[in-house]
Parts: sequence; C-alpha cells; structure tokens
Amino acid sequence: MKYCSKCIIPETRPDQFLDKDGICNACKSYEQRKEIDWNKRLDQLKEIINKNKNNSSKWDCVIPSSGGKDSTYQAIRAKELGLNPVVVTATTCDLSDLGKRNIINLKNLGFDTFEISPNPKIRAKLNKLCLKEIGDIAWPEHVSIFTIPIRFALNYKIPMILWGENPQFEYGGPNEKIHSNVLDRAWLEEFGGLLGMRVSDLVESYGFDHRDLYPYNYPSESELSEFNVMGLFLGHYEPWDNLRNAEISKKNGFFTFKKAIENGYFDSEKLDNHQHGIHDYFKFLKYGFGRATDQLCFMIRRDLISREEALDYVKKNEGKFPLSYLDKPLEEILKKIDMSLDEFKKTCDKFTNKKLFECNQANELNKDKFGNLILKKIDN
Amino acid sequence: MSVAILNYGMGNTFSIKHAIKSLGFDAYIANNPSEIEKAEKIILPGVGSFAKAMDNLNTRGWTPEITKLVKERKIPILGICLGMHLFANSSNEIKKTKGLSFINGDVVKLNEIGCQNKLPHVGWNEVKLKKDLILNDIDQNSDFYFVHSYCYKNLKDDVIIGTTNYGVEIISIIKYNNVIGTQFHPEKSSLVGKKILKNFLEIS
Amino acid sequence: MLKTRVIPTMLWKDLSLVKGIGFNSWRRVGSVMPAVKIYNSRDVDELILLDITATIDDREPDEETIKSFASECFVPLTIGGGIKKISQIEYLLSSGADKISINSHSYIDPMFIKNASDYFGSQCIVSSIDFKKLDDGKYTCFSNSGTKNMNTEPVEWAKKMEQLGCGEILLTSIDLDGSQKGYDIEVIKKVSDAVKIPVIASGGAGNYEHMISAIKDGGASAVAAASIFHFTDKTPAKAKEAMKDKNIPVRDCFKVNQ
Repeated sequence: MKYCSKCIIPETRPDQFLDKDGICNACKSYEQRKEIDWNKRLDQLKEIINKNKNNSSKWDCVIPSSGGKDSTYQAIRAKELGLNPVVVTATTCDLSDLGKRNIINLKNLGFDTFEISPNPKIRAKLNKLCLKEIGDIAWPEHVSIFTIPIRFALNYKIPMILWGENPQFEYGGPNEKIHSNVLDRAWLEEFGGLLGMRVSDLVESYGFDHRDLYPYNYPSESELSEFNVMGLFLGHYEPWDNLRNAEISKKNGFFTFKKAIENGYFDSEKLDNHQHGIHDYFKFLKYGFGRATDQLCFMIRRDLISREEALDYVKKNEGKFPLSYLDKPLEEILKKIDMSLDEFKKTCDKFTNKKLFECNQANELNKDKFGNLILKKIDN
Repeated sequence: MSVAILNYGMGNTFSIKHAIKSLGFDAYIANNPSEIEKAEKIILPGVGSFAKAMDNLNTRGWTPEITKLVKERKIPILGICLGMHLFANSSNEIKKTKGLSFINGDVVKLNEIGCQNKLPHVGWNEVKLKKDLILNDIDQNSDFYFVHSYCYKNLKDDVIIGTTNYGVEIISIIKYNNVIGTQFHPEKSSLVGKKILKNFLEIS
Repeated sequence: MLKTRVIPTMLWKDLSLVKGIGFNSWRRVGSVMPAVKIYNSRDVDELILLDITATIDDREPDEETIKSFASECFVPLTIGGGIKKISQIEYLLSSGADKISINSHSYIDPMFIKNASDYFGSQCIVSSIDFKKLDDGKYTCFSNSGTKNMNTEPVEWAKKMEQLGCGEILLTSIDLDGSQKGYDIEVIKKVSDAVKIPVIASGGAGNYEHMISAIKDGGASAVAAASIFHFTDKTPAKAKEAMKDKNIPVRDCFKVNQ
C-alpha cells in the first residue's frame, strides 16, 4: 500500500491516484487552487444567481443540510449572495443530540427549514442490510442526502441547489470531473458512494416494497425534464475550507464535541449521526485508513501540521474498534438496527482486506483485547 | 444424515458443499474411499475429462467402494455433469474409456448426436421435466446452467426424466433407481438448482 | 433453447476493485467483496473476476482471497489473472471457480491451453484475448494487461486457441474498454464467424443497445461489461429485459418480489 508523499492518504482510497512523484491527486488539486481565478468563478456564480432573480417571494435555492458546520456556512453564504434559501434537512440515520441542537441553531439563525425524515423502521433495516451486504451502514444516508433535496427542489420548483465542496476536486477523482461545477443524476450514480447497490436491488433481490423506498429514488429523467434544477458545488466557486466553515459556524452558535471524535482528529465535523463511527471503521477495514487521516490530510495541505506529526497521531488514534461514537456505546448503536455485537464483529471480518492487516499462521486476523486490528505498515 | 461429496481430484467440491450448506443441510468432502463407508447419500461431482476422471477413480481406489455402496447397498447417488457421465458404460472423450456402468448407455461428443451448434454448450437452457420426486416443486422449462461438450447418447426412455434442446435433444436429467444424474450444475443453477439438491437430500 | 448471457466483470488490482479506460487510468472503484455480494444477490448469469496485475507482478493467483470471494458467490464464476500452472487451475476449481480464464501465459506456452483442456475439459478453459487497433488499421493482440504487443491477429489467435482446445473466447477491445461507446462489432463478428466455440463480447458497453448489437450483429453468445454497471444505474436485469424486447432469448433472474 503506497501513501502520498505529501499528505498521508493511501492509494487504496477509491479514485485516489499517486503520480510519478508519489503525490496524490487531492494534494495536486490543492496546489491548483493558486492558479484558479477565484474572482472570476465567484462572478460566474453571481451571474447565475442574477439570471434567476425575479421579484417573486419564492425560495430560489435549497441548502441541503444535516445541521453540520459546512451547511451552516453554506446557508449563511447563500443569504450573503442575495439568495432566498430554504434549508432542507434529510434526517440522519441515528441523529445525535449534537446534531439536533445544531439543526435548531441553524433554524434560529433565521432560515426557513424543512426536515424530512424517511421511515426510521425502513431506514434501520437498510442500515443493517447494507452493512451486511456491502459493508456500508451509511448507504441510505449517502443516497437520501442527495435524493431528498433534489425532490424537494423539483416539487417546489426551486431552480438551484447549493452543495458544498466538489469531492472529486477536494479529495481525489478522475481528472475530467475535478473541475465540474454540477451535481446531477449521473454524478450520483458515479460518485454517490452507492457501492453498486441500487434501489432496484433492494426491491428485486432483498424484498423491500418499492413504496417504502420512495425517499431513496433519484427523480427520473422525465421528472427532471419538467423543471430545471441546477445542483451547484459552492466549492467550485470559492476555495473550500473546512476550518473556515467551522469558525464561521461556531461564531454563529454551532456546537462542537469539545474533543476529537472517536478515531478522528477534529471536534467540529461528523457530529450528527452515531453511525458515523461504524461507517468510518469499515472504511478502515477495507482501505486501511479512517477519518483522522482524511482530516489530517486537510491540515497537512494547509501547512497546519507536519506529515510526521500527522502520522504519529494516526498511528496512535485511528482504526480502533468503534466501542462508542460521540460517547454512545456501540451496543446501543447496534440495538437501533437490531444487530448483535457478535453479528457486527463477523461482518467486520468479512469486509476486512486481510492483506492490509497482521494475521496469524492460519490467516486469521490478529486482534488485541479491545478487538483492534494492526495495520501491517503505515506510510511508505 | 451423512452426505458425502467425493473428492477424487476433479470436481468443484467447494461449490457443492457451499450450496448444500446454504440449504441448511450438512455434507462432508470425502478425500479418500474409506471415508464414504458410512455415507447415506453420495454426490459425485465432475469437472474435467472422462478418461482422467476414471483414471483417478480407479487408481485411487474409489471404484470398488462406490460400486459397493451404489449397487449393493443402494445408497442414493447424485452425479453432476461429468459425474453423471461416469455412471455410463463408456465414453469416447479423449479416448474410449470404460465407466462405472451404473447406467446402460454411452457418452459421446454432442456433435455425434447431430448437434451443429457452438460447443461447448455453455450457459442457461431450459429443461423439459418428467414427473419425479427429485423434480418436485420445479416449474416446467426452468433454466439450468450447463457447461459441457459431451452427453449421453442412447438411454432407455424410462431412465430419462429431463431433456433440453440445443439444436438436438440432449438428455439432461437421468434416474435409475438410486442413481440420479444431472447434466447441468444444480449448485450453480440459482433457486431451481438448489431445489434439485434439496429434493435429493430429502428423498429416502 | 440456450439463453444469451449478461456477465458483469470485476477487475481486481492489488487490493481494490478497479476500472480503467483503454486498460489505463485505473480507477479504484471500491473493494471486491461488496461487488461480489451485490451481483450474487442479483442472481446474474455468470461473473468474471480478473486479477489484472498477477502476470505483470509475476505473482501467483491469490488463492485465499479468491476463495473468500467464491464463498459469497453462488453464480457461475470465471477466474483469471496470472494462471500458468495446472495446479493453480486445480486449486481454483476446487475453491469455487467454474471456469478459468487464461491470457498472457497462452502466448508464452500455447500448449498449456491444450494440457489444461485435456486435463480439465475444454468447457472450463476460457481463452481471454485482448486486442487493439494499430495506427495502420490492423488489429493485434496484447498480453500482460494490454502492455505487450504480441503481433498476432485476434482472429488467427482465436482459431489457434480453439484448435488447442479452449472452450470459450473472452474477446476484449482495449481501445473501447471503459469508453461506454459500444463494443467493437466488426472484430467480434470476425472472430464469432471464424470459431465454433462461444465468444463473449467485452469492452465498451455503454447502453443496452450496444449489448444487443454485440449479439445480433456481432454473433457473440454472451456480453461482458463492467463500467456500465459500476458507474451508471444500468443493471444486468434491465439489460436482459431490453434484449428480451428484441427477441433475444434470456433467462429470468430470480426476484424476491415475484
């Protein structure tokens, strides 16, 4: 497993590429920022906004939000840009108290807000199924954070959705997509983290009633053709900065965890869903890195931490068996999706890429008393 | 119930055991003839050539053991693909080779019975079924997975319980008392294939 | 009658499931296990899993890992990548593989195809042929994951492989692979006409019409595809529905809600 020589992301991450000097595409995108004419891009956004402007009192922009620091920033920014936004929250799979408080905070900052919660019983079934079948508990969330805002925009004939960063630009993606400003159905199919699972599979192969899956369906081509909704990445028009977003959100009442999240580095992101810990852990089992690595790469690129310090932190704090998340014990989190700890452990093993971790002679994973795995090596 | 899957060096024993396990039954892989002494049912898989398979069965001491269990003790045996061919009197695959002679017939290449289609016959094809316990609860003309170039040439009608069209009529399921054979791979034939396995495991 | 098959292909590089364009710019799509499980749950006709760096790395097939994938798989499975010994084929067949695909080693030792076919039967030996169009308009085969020009014309090579006893040809256009622009119908047809064994069309599927064309115009017995299934919402089941509409006989997949 090779690591970027600049940050610490390994090449196992989907859509990550290392060039001949061993530098990853996300680091290179970051360097490209200097060459981008951000003023020009911001003007382009303002032009789009102006084109859509009229005297109507209707909402002209959807801000998809989980109540997180990024969407809090996006909502504030939208108003600054002269838009009349409505905040649309697709409830997370296991909404935390912090998440609830931050949603309320965002409302109280002065925004029209809609909260749409898909049937939690179906949600929990999907969480469990997707964890067992594709090793991703967050599939329903990955899908609904896109489908719900777009459906809302279509229904209310709102011409714009303002998303956050372009993930292909920020974290790595195919070259032809890193400067894309648009999020549409094709984007969701290619990058939406679906891991091959389609809504049609849930109906045909796993016995779900298609009516229970309506919130997870992206609108069809014909529905989309009835009204034009443009999904734009705000991060295409201005340099995206998680820390800036956190600072601005905090100034506006955003609540943090006050300590680093389990297996992470920051205290200001991934605060809205207790299942994040499981999701991040499975990333670790499949690819050998977790949330702390992502967050520290962000810091390294901005010269806020050295590569050595980042590696040191990751070695000590990342990839631990997720005994809790946001202080909620694992067993309680699993209870919500009707999964036993034993079943959970077996599922973890099934999706672990054994090549990355130390195993005994019988090719069984070596685990310490807490159930933690040991990466064969960290760094090049 | 003790179900033995014979490992004579030429078969996809893992897939068969895997399929049986998924049905909630248990089967063990017998690696040498002494291990089938107490078997109540036998599965004879087969991937490869007839000549090599018979050579393995003969030289590894399987032939007398299997014959004893099948002919004397009338233990139900399911032969899959090449496994089904091995029940024949002979086959001319590679060279003319004597089989186990549980079934009175011979195995030849598909084109020798008039098949002019591309060979091997590989993919999903329908089976016309006769009524039989082994075929309980299976829809007429269900698709099963075939992957073979040889087949039975001449069998009595009462031994044939399933046929398939591939340019010519191919014998796809046979049954003669306790000897059952499928030309297709039930362990890879989705639900209908598993039903055949289940029926075999449940017949007495 | 025999049904036309739609076969998802999974390419495996180092530790990940990958997909490329023109056998290049390999993108990590995720990990192999979820893909195996999804396709298995969809009850696909067959699956192909190819380890694309085994030959380049001069590595043995990763039998342990392949076995772990096969244990999640109840559909017919073809395994390929770095196969050059009878013992490897033996192990893989006893670990859940139904067919073995051989590419690079067939150029180094063509008799290996004969030996393998004699030993295991031609029905489980698939000859994988990757081809490219050169500047002069001629087609040639490449080995080692599209990196070595073997200076052999695909039709001739297919005939040779057939003579040596392989049971099927997996025919992949390197140029079109990952492009989603359609299969190379011309070459597919030339090869399908030249051999009496089934040909699986591979490389370039972007929509269901492409697949239909590979069967109707190209004479292929089956179609293989990867990008279309990884990156779009198209599925093997819908592909077969489209084929059914055009009177191509296909198998109905098992559906829970039937």
